[in-house]
This record gives sequence, C-alpha cells and structure tokens, in this order.
Amino acid sequence: MSESPKISRRGFLKMAGGAALAAGAGLPRIAEAGEPRGFATLIDISRCDGCPVCERPLCVSACRDLYLSRVPEPVRPIPKLFPRGKIEDWSDRKHVSDRLTPYNRIYVQKASVSENGETRELFIPRRCMHCDHPACATLCPFSANQKYGNGAVVIDPDLCFGGAKCRDLCPWAIPQRQSGIGIYLHILPTLAGNGVLFKCDLCYERITKNERPGCVDACPRDVMTFGSRQDIFSEAERRAAETGAFIYGKTENGGTSTLYLSPVPFDRLNESIQKGPGRPHLDPVKPRMAETETLGKALLLSPLAGAAAAWLGVAVTASGKDGKTGGD
Amino acid sequence: MTERILEKEGVVVRHSLLERVEHWTVALSGLVLLLTGLFELPIARRYFITELPGFGWSGDYITSLKIHYAASTVFIAAGVFHLVYHGLLRHDGMMPRKGDIRASVEVIRSFFGKGEEPPFDKYLPEQRFAYAGMAFIVALLILSGLVKTWKNLFDPQLSPPLVMTATWVHNGAFILFILAFAAHLGALILKPNRPLVRSIFTGSVRLDYARKRHPLWVQRLETKRPEGTPGAKEQDGRVPENT
Repeated sequence: MSESPKISRRGFLKMAGGAALAAGAGLPRIAEAGEPRGFATLIDISRCDGCPVCERPLCVSACRDLYLSRVPEPVRPIPKLFPRGKIEDWSDRKHVSDRLTPYNRIYVQKASVSENGETRELFIPRRCMHCDHPACATLCPFSANQKYGNGAVVIDPDLCFGGAKCRDLCPWAIPQRQSGIGIYLHILPTLAGNGVLFKCDLCYERITKNERPGCVDACPRDVMTFGSRQDIFSEAERRAAETGAFIYGKTENGGTSTLYLSPVPFDRLNESIQKGPGRPHLDPVKPRMAETETLGKALLLSPLAGAAAAWLGVAVTASGKDGKTGGD
Repeated sequence: MTERILEKEGVVVRHSLLERVEHWTVALSGLVLLLTGLFELPIARRYFITELPGFGWSGDYITSLKIHYAASTVFIAAGVFHLVYHGLLRHDGMMPRKGDIRASVEVIRSFFGKGEEPPFDKYLPEQRFAYAGMAFIVALLILSGLVKTWKNLFDPQLSPPLVMTATWVHNGAFILFILAFAAHLGALILKPNRPLVRSIFTGSVRLDYARKRHPLWVQRLETKRPEGTPGAKEQDGRVPENT
C-alpha cells in the first residue's frame, strides 16, 4: 500500500512502451495505458442523516481533528497581492464547517427532494473526488499536487505557491486557499503566489499505514465504504442494481475514485443543494483534459516525424552535388 | 544552396534556405512555447493579460496547453530534424572547439573596446559556445516535456519522483531558455554583429564585411574556386581551415 519513490516495474514497462512508440508501434489508448489504480470510496447518501444530534457531522469533526492544526498560522499582516490586492484569509473563521475551507476539508450538503408528494431530506458528504485524470495535479506548474499510486491526489503544502491553478482547473473548485503561509513568502510574496491550497488528501498518511481515512472510520452509519478500486466499483454496481440507485463520480471528469450512490437522480439533488464557492455542484462533468489528447499524441510522435523528414532530406541532398550546406 | 561567394552581387551566401526555414521554425515555435509556458502559470488573469486585445484565451490553462502542445510538435520535429539531418551530413561548423571559451571572452572584451578581434571563420567562437548551450537547454526542455506529456495523457499516477524531476528540469530549463533567448537577441544589438542579421532573413552577408571580419571563412571558400578566378590569388599561402 505504501508509495515507492522508485520507478516501479510497471512504470518502467510503461516507459519502455513509450520507447516502443519511437519504433512506430503507435500510441496506446488512454484506457489501455495507465489504468487508474489504488483505493476508492463509495458514499451511499441514502444512509447519511447528517448527524442531527451532533455539533458537526462526525465525518467533519474527525477530519478537523486530524487536519485543522496542520495549517500554519499566517504571517501578519498578510502581504497584499500585486496588482489586485486580493487575499484569502480563513484563519479567523476556522469554525466554519458548512462549506469547504482550508481548515474544513469535508462538509455535508443538505438536499430537500420531493418524492410522491413528500419532502425527503438527503445529506451528501463532499470532499475531493480524487479524479483518475486530475488536471489539478497533472497541470500543477511545480508538481506540488500529484496523483499517487494509491489513488490519492495530494497537495504538498511545502511546495505549493498558492496560485490556485488547481482550484481553477477542478470542475468542483474543491481546493481552498489560505494566504500568508507557504513558500511564496520567501520568494516574491507580493508578485508571485498567494498562500497554500488545501483539500482532502484521502488521509494519505493513514492509508499508507493500512488505516482507513478518518471520515470513513468516524461514520456510525457506514455511509462511506473504503477499499480497493475494483471492490468499491463492484459494490457500487451491485447496490445500484439491487436498489435502482444512481451513481455519480464514475464517469465525471473522465472518472474519479469517489462514487456517490443516491436514491434520487443527481440532477434533482443538484437543483436542491446550495452551490457556490466551497460548495460544489453535482452537475455532469466532461473531462477538459480530453480536449488535449490529439495534440498531445501528435507531440509524442513528433520526434519520429522530425527524424523521418531528416532522413528524407539527407537522401535528397545526397542525390545532389555535395551535400554541404554550411552546418548552421 | 551551398555557401559561396557571389562576387557580382558583393555578398557571401551564409545560410541556405533550408537552414533559414529551420531557424525560423524553431524560433517562432519557441516563442509560442515561451508565451504559452508562461500562461501555464497563474499570471494571465492576475496581471490583466486576459484583458489585452486578442489575449482573452491566456487565462484558460487548457487552451494554453493545446497551443503549447501544437507548438511543441513543430519545435520538437524541427529540433530532431536539425540534429539528424546535420548530424548525418557531418555539418560540424557550429560544434564548439578547443579554446572557444577563452576566445569568446576575448571577443566579448573586444566588443567593449578592450583588445582587437581575432580573424574569424564562418562562426564566432561564442556563437559555437552559445549554440552548444542552447542545444543543451532545448534537449532538457524536450526530454522533460515528453515525460510530462506522457504523464498528462497516459499515466497521471506515474512515479511522483520522476514527475517531480521532469517538472523542475522543465521549469529550470525554461528559465535558462528565456535567458539564452534574451542573450541571443542581445548579441544582435552589438554593432559588430549587426551585419550578420541580414543573413538569417536573406541568406547572405556583405562580401566586404565577410572579408574584414571572417577572413578565414572567405579564404576557405576562395580556395575551393578554380585557379585564376578573381580573389583566389590574393589568398595564396594561407592554410584553409577544415570545417
């Protein structure tokens, strides 16, 4: 379960596959290479009651117990961002737990849905979906955000500059920024960066020690099931077939490691929930990274094209006079 | 088109059409890469670049990435073409030679009025030195970029240390590329180098300039001529340089 810092045999074989491309083997389809692996979570919202007698839902409290103290205190005054002056400071609102914040990485949405003339309340724990092809991680300019072999998408707070590119790229705008902390303070605090982005890391440290994420362990109603991706996906399909439930997260953004199971269609839930900053939607999501696939494949084949053109050029030149063109 | 003296036109052909096409393909795609690479940083909206006419797209990372990929395809193909084509034909005129670093220092000092320039062959020693440096930077950019693209397309769970290495090699080489690009343009501002600029557009430099500053090159070209043609006689006694 633990991460190996070395290139795995599988990774090596994939790289060798890349070399095979140069031999004209052709590019594999995304579904064939780099298949998603690791853990997944099933969140069955028909089981969640939002912990009505608790100050906060227990999954939220467990997460806060584990992570709230990990956010360093920001410097005072927090440097003003040039030229816009905008900073994001949650340090005096640590208590907020009805949305995602740097200090609150999971929260429970409430939906009221009418069914057969009756209003039914449903509760939806929301946090990072840990996407299979997370643009937030793959396009992080500093690799501060990475997708690990165990399925977790993790931001390294020591490397994050706080530009919030990950939040812009996330279809649900999950990561939340705290200004006044992080590496940017030591470089160009007013000109580049603006803090550190925080989000659920799937309790990376716990799962590498064969423990379950804190939110999963804390739930008294087994709303969340955590396990191998294959088992979780099978279980979701089984329950959906059995109860006629709807699944969200299987195809969204090209697939994720978090599957929601709902007794009512997600478009109806989406209409009912409160949406906005820190409060993600339940819309269908098309993977924007897929738009780049054709050009990306062309790029990977371009060395081959350049070499082929050169050989052709040499053949043409050799058939000419002396082939000397100066060597610039 | 081979490098040669065109006495009647008063010019020396320095760059073939193919070489100029290579240069401009790399230069223009490199410029697009530089710009779209910058736009992969969260700066376009922050610094109001998105509000410049024609730059509305610059705040969309996916659009920038698509343009970056397209420009990379051209840049890499041109770079590999350059390497393989000139490598196979053994065009080694721009390869650094022993003593180029010391000679480069002397030449740069002469630009600022300290000492005199030595007689040059086709290329200045610091041109050869800069070429090797730029080739190294471009190689780093291409190799790290290929790893990043492979990860983006096929394996987001590629080994994190490998991804981290590729990212920081790419970022570091990007900064070096900007510096080398600026130095390349800066060299053209220096007065003694200005007569060279026309060659990358037209393919030739003035013969009087070449005779004065690149006598070893002119000598080589003239010794290739049949005996008795004008200009060859006066070079008698010089040893041609083998490039």
